[in-house]
Amino acid sequence: MSVRGSGVDEVVGCLPLKLVVGYRSVDSGGYLGSIMLVMDSRFTQQELPACKPILTPRWVISAFMLVSIVFIPIGLASLFASRDVVEIIDRYETDCIPQALRNDKVKYIQGPEDKTCNRTLRVPKRMKQPIYVYYQLDNFYQNHRRYVKSRSDKQLKDPKSENDVSACKPEDATPPGSNPIVPCGLIAWSMFNDTYSFSRNSEQLPLNKKGISWKSDRQHKFGKEVFPKNFQNGTLIGGAHLNSSIPLSEQEDLIVWMRTAALPTFRKLYGKIEVDLQANESIEVQLKNYYNTYSFNGKKKLVLSTTSWLGGKNDFIGIAYLSVGGLCFVLAMAFTIIYLVKPRRLGDPSYLSWNRNP
Amino acid sequence: MAVPLNTGYATSKLEEPPSRHHPSAPIATQATRSFHRNGHCRRELLNRLTMKRFVYINDDDLSDDLYCDNRISNRKYTLLNFLPKNLWEQFSRFMNQYFLLIACLQLWPLITPVNPASTWGPLIFIFAVSATKEAWDDYNRYLSDKKANEKEVWVVRQGVKKHVKGFNTVNKAIVVYVLVFDRVAVEWEVSMAVQAQDVRVGNIVWLRENDEVPCDLVLIGTSEPQGICYVEGVIECPNPDRDIRRFDANLRLFPPFLDNDVCPLTIKNTILQSCYLRNTEWACGVAVYTGNVYGWLQLLLSIVYSLLLFLGNETKLGMSRGVPEPKLTAVDAMIDKLTGAIFVFQIVVVIVLGIAGNVWKDTEARKQWYVQYPKESPWYELLVIPLRFELLCSIMIPISIKEAFNKLKAYREFMVDDKHLDFVSLDLVKSLYAKFIDWDNEMVDLETGTPSHATNTAISEDLGQVEYILTDKTGTLTENKMIFKRCCISGTFYGNESGDALKDVELLNAVTSGSPDVIRFLTVMAICNTVIPMQSKSGAISYKAQSQDEEALVRAAARLHIVFVRRNANILDIKFNGSAIEYEVLDTLEFTSDRKRMSVVVRDCRSGNIILLSKGADETVLPHASAGQQTRTFSEAVDQYAQLGLRTLCLAWRELEEDEYREWSSMFKEANSTLVDREWRVAEVCQRLEHDLDILGVAAIEDRLQDGVPETIETLRKAGINFWMLTGDKQNTAIQIALSCNFVSPEPKGQLLLINGKTEDEVCRSLERVLLTMRITKSEPKDVAFVVDGWALEIALKHYRKAFTELAILSRTAICCRATPSQKAQLVELLKSCDYRTLAIGDGGNDVRMIQQADIGVGISGREGLQASRAADYSIGSKSEIVVGLDGNLVVVIGDGEMLMAGGDGDFVLSQGDFSKIIFAGPNYGSSVQFNSTSSFSFISGVSGTSLFNSVSLMAYNVFYTSIPVLVSVLDKDLSEATVIQHPQILFYCQAGRLLNPSTFAGWFGRSLFHAVCNGGGHGLVTVAVVDEATVMVDDQREAALFLLIGKIITGNAFQAIVVFVITIHAYAFEKSEMEEVSMVALSGCIWLQASVVAIETNSFTILQHLAIWGNLIAFYAINWIVSALPSSGMYTIMFRLCRQPSYWITMILIVAAGMGPVLALKYFRYTYRSSKINILQQAERMGGPILSLGNIEPQPRSLEKDVSTLSISQPKSRNAVYEPLLSDSPNATRRSAGSATQFDFFQSPSRLSSSYSRNCKDN
Repeated sequence: MSVRGSGVDEVVGCLPLKLVVGYRSVDSGGYLGSIMLVMDSRFTQQELPACKPILTPRWVISAFMLVSIVFIPIGLASLFASRDVVEIIDRYETDCIPQALRNDKVKYIQGPEDKTCNRTLRVPKRMKQPIYVYYQLDNFYQNHRRYVKSRSDKQLKDPKSENDVSACKPEDATPPGSNPIVPCGLIAWSMFNDTYSFSRNSEQLPLNKKGISWKSDRQHKFGKEVFPKNFQNGTLIGGAHLNSSIPLSEQEDLIVWMRTAALPTFRKLYGKIEVDLQANESIEVQLKNYYNTYSFNGKKKLVLSTTSWLGGKNDFIGIAYLSVGGLCFVLAMAFTIIYLVKPRRLGDPSYLSWNRNP
Repeated sequence: MAVPLNTGYATSKLEEPPSRHHPSAPIATQATRSFHRNGHCRRELLNRLTMKRFVYINDDDLSDDLYCDNRISNRKYTLLNFLPKNLWEQFSRFMNQYFLLIACLQLWPLITPVNPASTWGPLIFIFAVSATKEAWDDYNRYLSDKKANEKEVWVVRQGVKKHVKGFNTVNKAIVVYVLVFDRVAVEWEVSMAVQAQDVRVGNIVWLRENDEVPCDLVLIGTSEPQGICYVEGVIECPNPDRDIRRFDANLRLFPPFLDNDVCPLTIKNTILQSCYLRNTEWACGVAVYTGNVYGWLQLLLSIVYSLLLFLGNETKLGMSRGVPEPKLTAVDAMIDKLTGAIFVFQIVVVIVLGIAGNVWKDTEARKQWYVQYPKESPWYELLVIPLRFELLCSIMIPISIKEAFNKLKAYREFMVDDKHLDFVSLDLVKSLYAKFIDWDNEMVDLETGTPSHATNTAISEDLGQVEYILTDKTGTLTENKMIFKRCCISGTFYGNESGDALKDVELLNAVTSGSPDVIRFLTVMAICNTVIPMQSKSGAISYKAQSQDEEALVRAAARLHIVFVRRNANILDIKFNGSAIEYEVLDTLEFTSDRKRMSVVVRDCRSGNIILLSKGADETVLPHASAGQQTRTFSEAVDQYAQLGLRTLCLAWRELEEDEYREWSSMFKEANSTLVDREWRVAEVCQRLEHDLDILGVAAIEDRLQDGVPETIETLRKAGINFWMLTGDKQNTAIQIALSCNFVSPEPKGQLLLINGKTEDEVCRSLERVLLTMRITKSEPKDVAFVVDGWALEIALKHYRKAFTELAILSRTAICCRATPSQKAQLVELLKSCDYRTLAIGDGGNDVRMIQQADIGVGISGREGLQASRAADYSIGSKSEIVVGLDGNLVVVIGDGEMLMAGGDGDFVLSQGDFSKIIFAGPNYGSSVQFNSTSSFSFISGVSGTSLFNSVSLMAYNVFYTSIPVLVSVLDKDLSEATVIQHPQILFYCQAGRLLNPSTFAGWFGRSLFHAVCNGGGHGLVTVAVVDEATVMVDDQREAALFLLIGKIITGNAFQAIVVFVITIHAYAFEKSEMEEVSMVALSGCIWLQASVVAIETNSFTILQHLAIWGNLIAFYAINWIVSALPSSGMYTIMFRLCRQPSYWITMILIVAAGMGPVLALKYFRYTYRSSKINILQQAERMGGPILSLGNIEPQPRSLEKDVSTLSISQPKSRNAVYEPLLSDSPNATRRSAGSATQFDFFQSPSRLSSSYSRNCKDN
């Protein structure tokens, strides 16, 4: 081993930052003053005490080892947390259309037929309350530029600003130009309007729809005195209707919907079931399939899920941690082997080309 | 008879009644005068048409507005034009136009991805900052102008009327004013104080010692003992021009002088603006050229006479100063070129994404009913999406550029958009570098305490890029302290044994015994000059001389008992062995660079003989030896002395016949008063007298090398910097100096090629021969240098420019002797035209043009005044002490004692090699991550051009979080300066920046892009590996740094951007996919990664680095918490929410580990197994060991208390003890080790060198 062992140790650990305070009288300007003085002159002379770490094999290998030792347990913990989450996903957008009408789904969804659809969900494992009920949309671009900007935060908050609809075109006023729509804009207009109700053994499962939105939104973003006005009165009906006697701050479905998703696949909270569900129980869902995702082949899913310390079911973090940890381990091993097989002296000036061939 | 004497102490004397009509010169009769007075315009017209100016001395009627007043204005703006002019300047840069366009586009709400305020705010801020800076600078200029303008100047308004004997006042209008100036008290009363700006042409200005000269003056009297009178008259002089070496004018006295002679005036009778009056109690002069701005009337006149006009400064200095071109750094110049290329690339991206967006819109978006695309779209609809992407991509231009040239360099000025603050930080950085130079204790002139000063703060980074250093010899390499060392008198060599003729017993004996040859020789030494002896009260005599050579000779003569005691008008008192001898100076045949000799004609007052005494360069004196005389010994002596590096002068004399002199004298007088070609005519007349000379001997003068010069030059040459020496000296002297300061190596290793010739053909042949040799020897490890003299250079530059340019490129070393100031500047120009970075160093006025021309000009404020340092970008004291300024961004200037590396920061040089550091440190890093994230995001947002980041964070990110690390990375040191001095070669390898020329850049850029695009996405890592590997392979070529750079930009950042992006969208999928949250997670990821990258790329952590890296991280959270606490903000509560989630922190850790792991692994691998030169030195340095132990960071080697000279010697010695083995292969190792003591060995042991050199010279 040609690396000087003692040297490595010395260099690896950074020297503690030395603030040289001594030599100067403390009374003049005080302790801090003299630090500043020294620091100042050191700064101007570019002589600040410095720690100059270099990448020695020992340091790098230990770092990689350390990462793998830390990451693998975290990865395992995350993975277990994710696996503990019980999740029921029911994709229903096709099944809820009568067989006969499936060749023109758009016509069906826009037609006057009864949209009720009964689904049965099986509980695979015991689910502890609270059980979150989500709807999941696929291929729905809430992040589309035209869409995401089509709202008026001022109007949502303050009844006096109900005319502040300039960003909301084309859903700004009805009939065009006269009466501002509250809440205006494409987001509110296209609000999701499928509804779900759950029963277990023919007995209604209570669904708590309070508190599904962010508290901060209810208190600060959506006004208590702002009531829906002229909403869905236009020629084109978008999504859900709103009860115009309930202020926006209590329209939690709207509040949830207005928190736009960054990704084209997203889940939004519909409500909470606050009783435990036992394994192998079956849950009947009566849903009203109103929302049109058929024109753009969007999927609709109903999701019941418990939660863990990491949130919902998501194996990604666990797997990512395990692979990064594993990779670091491999690298640490590889570097160790290379180091043992082919040691190379650090900082040997004979490697300098001008020292090699004059 | 008029006797204009020496410059600076000029005394004009009018004794004899001048003759009225002079045949050759135009005269100002009363008629012309009245014509002149008849209306300004006509007079001005006359002046313009005749290209002459008639200055009426002390004419109070003189209109104030005929010539410009003496107001000095260096201001760039006025109150009115400030805004438009400043904006115009700012927007004349392509980058700014581009960003303005972007900012305007952002005003269109349909396409802007973010709030326009996020661009406009910073844009306006940046413009405001730079405008404020400009305004502040201009205000300071205004203040300093004002100070200069309001300075008190004494002007003589009404002289005491005193009738000169024998003349009567004829007419009241034409009064003869005679001021007798030998009574200072008298003048006090008649002078009045005015402000400098009110000095008019024609005024008599009164100066006291140490006053600054307010305008160009013709001297009419000084405090010199022979107090001189002057008479009202007219000075007829050329219109202002910029030639500071010529002033061919005549002083004409008005009638009633019966014989109104013309009194010739030359540049020697003038003192120019901004000089200082020294060593003279008082002086007064007539203002001939004033001011440097035109008043409105002048402006009108100028327009009228636009063909003939001279705009702007009228003083010679003002005119020759001109407007120095703003110096752009290498990178600056490149940026503008490349911006275009990148712009094109960006357009391609925009078009591709735009098409994708439009296609998606037409196929998919129409189905997305909730988006409500209108069926009918306006005509511009097709443009909307591409324009949105253009706006999103606008982040890219700065990125690419910044990344390409590392942030610091790219953002010289006004680069705006979201990079706004970066520009500010860049300016800060540059100022900081400049400040470091000012601050550096090691660059303080120890003798005078003058610190170095960086005048031009904008070009610090170029210091590391210098490829050619063009240096003046005298005063720069040498001390400009002349000492008489040896002489050869009629064949006898004195001073050969002891090395000092003054101590040579034989010479002393010869003097005492009164050997006539020796006495004559010494007499010439003592009186053939323009020196003025000053006798102090104690009786000690000091000499004031224009030329250091003359002073040395006079001093030496005094040491040899021929003492020049007094110059009393034309009478020179010489004391020899106790007896006084008087000589009367009849004429002085002045020295010019063409004649290369000067002579005086004196009358020996004892015998009445008229004698011509001459001294000059051998080639101009020896040919004029009298027919019978053998000059061989003398030319041998000259050769011998020149080979010792001594300056030689041949001394000669001749006795003149009374008649011969009288005849000649009239011709001389006539020649002296011609206005046309005066110099040439005078030279011709002088020639008629200087023949048949009796050569007395040769005097040799030593100009000592500055201490440390050889070491410095060697260090720099090892660093790959080419050295050219441009000097006015003789060829042999120049060669010897070059040899002794390591410019060229002695024979077996070095070779000197000579270019000479008097005619075009000769020069051409010689040039071709040298070129051929050069081409052949190029492959050999030989030190080939060429030597060219001024004459051949002139021809070569004029007729064989191409060949000469090739030669210049091939040759690492060149010596140009007998070069004129303009040739020096031309050489700089030549090198610059080949795209080399040049640095010029000089100390004297003759270097000013070269200094201004060079990319970097360094002026030494030394013996020759401040002219050079005023014109320079960096000024340093001649006794500055240290070597590598800071940590080695060197460019060296040689000072006494040590070498002085003018400034900068070696780290900076190194950083250029190690581009990645700053790239990663910089906002560029951040923005590219952002850009990549944003473009990735565009694909999941329906190619609709939504920005992932909100306006606030976008702005904050670019403005704030990413700037500070850059600032601090500037302070990062790759290597300590000690190491850099040990291994100057490293600098050569680090100058990769010079390789950033468009073709290679474009090549690599395209290639890397291809890699990035092909491998894109998840394969970024692979690309990093590929690129890094390739980098390693080409390490020894300088392309390496470039390759590394581009590779890292594209792939490294792409990889990390992808890490951030992929992890974020997967970890925050489904129910967590809330826009604001995802955006903040991604942003935090960027910040964390950035901090880690900066940390890993930082070489030395000082408290500043820690503050910046970690403080920045903390600041990020602090700021976002504050913003999150504001209900009105878009991200209300978001940050609190995130920080409460374990998944957020887990995601951050994951991003850092996944993003940094591969980087660390690759860095480690390369660092250990494919180390670059810098890496090796870093390791060596930090592993402790011989170079520098960690304890050594304390600054004891720099301690100022230590004696300078011991420091200079002991340092190399102590280092060498350790380093001998490393440098053993270097031929100079031993020389180096011996320190400064050995450098004079060359003088003492010339044999081995001279033989080889004389052979060499003959060979060629």
